[in-house]
Amino acid sequence: MTLYLLRRLFLLVFVFIALSILAFSLGYLFPGNTLQNFTGLTDISAELATQLTAEYRLDSGYIQQYIAYLQRIFSGDWGLSFASKQPLLQEIKILLPATLELAAYALLVSFFVGIPLGIIAAIKPEGIISRIISALAIAGYSIPVFWWALLLIMLFSLGLGWLPTAGRIGVLYEIPHVTGFMLADILLANSQHQTEALLNALRHTLLPTIVLATFPTTVMIRFTRDSMLDVWEQSYIKTARAKGLNRAQVLYRHALRNALLPVIRQIGLQFSTLITLAMITEVIFSWPGIGRWLIDSIYQRNYPAIQAGLLVISTLVISVNMLTEILHTLFNPLARKR
Amino acid sequence: MARFRLLPDEQHARSPLLLLWREFARQHSAMSGLVLFILFFLLAILSPLLTPHDPYMQNDTLLLIAPSWSEQGLVQYPFGTDDLGRDMFSRMLMGARYTFGIALITVVGALLIGLLLGVLAGMSKGVKSSVFNHVLDLALTIPSLLLAIIIVAILGPGLLNTLWAIMLALLPQFVHSIRNAIAEQLNQDYVTAYRLDGASNWQVLTRLILPNIWERLTVTATMALSTAILDIAALGFLGLGAQAPTAEWGAIIADSLDLIYVAPVGVALPGLLIFTAVLSVNLVGDGLRNAMKKRREN
Repeated sequence: MTLYLLRRLFLLVFVFIALSILAFSLGYLFPGNTLQNFTGLTDISAELATQLTAEYRLDSGYIQQYIAYLQRIFSGDWGLSFASKQPLLQEIKILLPATLELAAYALLVSFFVGIPLGIIAAIKPEGIISRIISALAIAGYSIPVFWWALLLIMLFSLGLGWLPTAGRIGVLYEIPHVTGFMLADILLANSQHQTEALLNALRHTLLPTIVLATFPTTVMIRFTRDSMLDVWEQSYIKTARAKGLNRAQVLYRHALRNALLPVIRQIGLQFSTLITLAMITEVIFSWPGIGRWLIDSIYQRNYPAIQAGLLVISTLVISVNMLTEILHTLFNPLARKR
Repeated sequence: MARFRLLPDEQHARSPLLLLWREFARQHSAMSGLVLFILFFLLAILSPLLTPHDPYMQNDTLLLIAPSWSEQGLVQYPFGTDDLGRDMFSRMLMGARYTFGIALITVVGALLIGLLLGVLAGMSKGVKSSVFNHVLDLALTIPSLLLAIIIVAILGPGLLNTLWAIMLALLPQFVHSIRNAIAEQLNQDYVTAYRLDGASNWQVLTRLILPNIWERLTVTATMALSTAILDIAALGFLGLGAQAPTAEWGAIIADSLDLIYVAPVGVALPGLLIFTAVLSVNLVGDGLRNAMKKRREN
């Protein structure tokens, strides 16, 4: 196990180095002035330019420049945004929790809806309920996320007027930024309108969560179902049945534990798709997260922001990937042996 | 009396492909998916011949005509016209070529490059293969939309540039699945036997491995195709892919979004088409997977 963790750690370091090289090279690949792309300053006077060139080591070789870039990344100097002239790291610190919050709710929904439905669909694979679940799953898997979001907005926000169309919370409420997670911040804020604010935030969160959760839920259903059907064929299930355990006992003690193992791994594999979908969902619901910010950045030709966004989002996805893989190995003794 | 029979019955004497087709044709959902898929495919090829009007011709006397099923509609314009007087029906037909056809080209391109890289990775051993794996792990982690954003930032928006982005985003999946399939095949006894007969790497690859993995490749390709259609449409919708006049389904939705109250058809119809196209691909992919599983069981 220690050896395994060390190997994973080595891989992680390798991937991060490769990622930072990619992010560094973008400073040259993006159109425009390299110095501007790295600093985020748009009009640089001649004396400032020489000073910055020396500081960023743009006059020496690529390797020195890369090392200087790494030092800046670790010391927290990520440059400025072209659009807002604010330090990028500060902006990202405010935006990232919003995206994480949305993605976390969607993942939670996909667990609590997808896994039980997948199990139900696996109990009688040819039955009518199972067929309905499978049909819903394949429909949810095929629907384009932006169109689905528009349909729901049309129905629930514009047609019925039940839910708001955009934002995280009504503009009347002022919630101080502590953790960045809206619901946690409201609970921490301790104002007299706490309950109203909480309800308002929940109403704002409902539609984006449903839209974003659709894809991971259907993946969970399909995966849990296939995995359950596989496990149900194994001889240890037959042994357990022969020993006299009833269906529910076999399901809980033997089938579920083995069937849910590959599901853990699936979360890591689907996470990058989830982030892609979250970016689109944020654009449609004006959710102030990092995805909307990145897509705005491309309209504004905000190259430093795209560079920083690549670094942050990829780091997030890699970490989640690695974490789920380690968890999978931890829970599965068979994978540990290899 | 026990009698030795090489082939137990007529069923099993058929070719594997025929058996696969039989299992596939037994599933209604898969067959309807296949019919839709062929329809979209034909549409993508033939759409310039089928369009009743020029999809880009603006006609300022016929702005925002309602679809023909409403009272104000004209029968010559089945889905009405948009705010520039362009025929919606022709634009929908053309969209099949952009959204579906280009997704198909992207997947075929990614498949061919993936096959090359996957074979190189699968047949090599040791450090080379391990380094390759790690690079793949990195590539798998960058979300496809982020990759597209970076490529668009470097090259500028456009359908062709997003094609490269999506191809690059699909590539790691292909390489991964091909590499795993080859590694699995290399462990088989018949490969060892063939090698003992003096077969070279190239012969093992072309005579044994490729015929044995192409079905799995098809399933991977269908999954990639549904991702590619969704990505092209999403990028068109965000304005990063196909640009305004192009009749790409995602771009049409983005175009008609500000008219959603006046002409909801412009949003509803392209979305429904994207949904149907992706659904048909997924149904075919699922059907193939099921058929392969059933054939193995029999």
